[in-house]
Amino acid sequence: MSPFHFEHLVWHWPIAFYLFFAGVSGGAMFFAVLLKNFILRGDAYKSGFVQAACIVAPITVMAGLGILVTDLTKPLHFWKIMVFYNLTSVMSVGVIILCIYMVFMFLWIALVFRPVIDEWCRTRFPWVLKLSAFLSSSEATITGLLVILALALGAYTGFLLSALPGYPMLKNPVLPILFLLSALSSGAAASLLGGVLMKGNPDGREVHLIHKIEIPLILVEMVAIFTFFLGLVLTGGQAKVAAANALGFGFWGVVFWVGILLVGLSVPLAMNLFMTATAKRRFAYVAGTATCSLIGVILLRHFILYAGQMTIA
Amino acid sequence: MDKSKRQFLQGSGAMIAGISLYVLTNGEVAGEQQKSAVKYAMLHDENKCIGCNACADNCRKVNQVPEGVARLEIIRTGPFGEYPNQYYHFTRKSCEQCEDSPCVHVCPTGAAFKDENTGIVSVNSWKCVGCQYCIAACPYHIRFINPVTKAADKCDFCRETQLKQGKQPACVEACPTKALVFGDLNDPNSEIVKALEENPVYRNKRDLGTHPKLFRIQAKQGGINV
Repeated sequence: MSPFHFEHLVWHWPIAFYLFFAGVSGGAMFFAVLLKNFILRGDAYKSGFVQAACIVAPITVMAGLGILVTDLTKPLHFWKIMVFYNLTSVMSVGVIILCIYMVFMFLWIALVFRPVIDEWCRTRFPWVLKLSAFLSSSEATITGLLVILALALGAYTGFLLSALPGYPMLKNPVLPILFLLSALSSGAAASLLGGVLMKGNPDGREVHLIHKIEIPLILVEMVAIFTFFLGLVLTGGQAKVAAANALGFGFWGVVFWVGILLVGLSVPLAMNLFMTATAKRRFAYVAGTATCSLIGVILLRHFILYAGQMTIA
Repeated sequence: MDKSKRQFLQGSGAMIAGISLYVLTNGEVAGEQQKSAVKYAMLHDENKCIGCNACADNCRKVNQVPEGVARLEIIRTGPFGEYPNQYYHFTRKSCEQCEDSPCVHVCPTGAAFKDENTGIVSVNSWKCVGCQYCIAACPYHIRFINPVTKAADKCDFCRETQLKQGKQPACVEACPTKALVFGDLNDPNSEIVKALEENPVYRNKRDLGTHPKLFRIQAKQGGINV
């Protein structure tokens, strides 16, 4: 059996990238809000890490949507998804979340860079200042809604797959939680990698805060993966067969043990602990760790999608 | 600042809980049987089926199903037994017309729908954008993308063709051994209700809770498979 072509395979790799990109966007916004509200406050726009998150989040969410639309058999008819809704469909609810999320994402980014925007518009477009002042007065609401929508976006990618009754590995209540956790860690990794590339200080307060959150995040992610597969084994029947097919000595088994568990989770965990213990945070360490995390999350999306469709109910 | 955030979170939390409860209580709760005037179903007698494929051929002709895809297939398993007493088994692979249809639940545009008057699960090919969510959701793997319309397609009991002309579905008309029975489950005098009352029948993957309306009479002989 070829790992990328087999019977009953419906959704291919573009969907895995879509799931990945949507998660990165939500995760990056989540951490940008944390950085701003907990340590940076009004200076957030000066931080390379917040800047990176504010660039990564819009690009990834739009790239994800672009992939999703081109993957339709009728790409030019995609507007029908925006016009006709079905509230029992996770995809339809996800589109609603995605649209509202994008609005609040741009509003929040505009608020972060308000000093820069105001300065630039002061003489050219003075009316923009009134608008930004109005937005600023409801900053708490915008931030709160953005956090909820970002978390909803991360979880939605999991619910999208767990709504498929024909595949016992995907029809798993732990999947949305697992995807939410890995979306957050991919968002953190993207902000860190982008931040140090944009001349952010690898030993800055931002990195300290993100690493402090990342360590427990990775541990909980490992627990979620353990629960995911033990749950399949204990369910028995085809769910047990699915777990064996996914984790066995096949292509996807190697991807799981080496790519996800070792490179994607264990190495970043060890590096985060090392950097916290020794307080040595250099460009190469931070960038390398973040790259490992991102690779791990990309592989996890592919692994769940493909291995999940290998076994049918 | 902090107080307003807390109030905001409480408010939005209550709102989300309220909306979900509203949707749950007003919407069609999973597993609930739809009440329609007519509820069409089909019965395939695997003892009578000889695997001639006349049903599949007529389906293709009547519904203009392009080559390479199929709304209806007869799956042959076997041979069982020792020569000269060998035999095959034939099962029908087509839409199971679930009462609680996963395809209808997941379709983002409502292109996959269940007809209120007949209970037939159908596709509005104009509304379909081709996301293939329904194809992935169908536990019976009978949906496909029609290469001509680019929309999801499947058996709809000839709702658009034969039934409109007051005829039986194409497969039922074509069957030379009368292995297929089609009719209304709500009509106690219909041929299918009588056949269902008289015969032990089974349905595929009932444990998934889809309530399929494609009934089957199991072939008498078969291999032992634990």
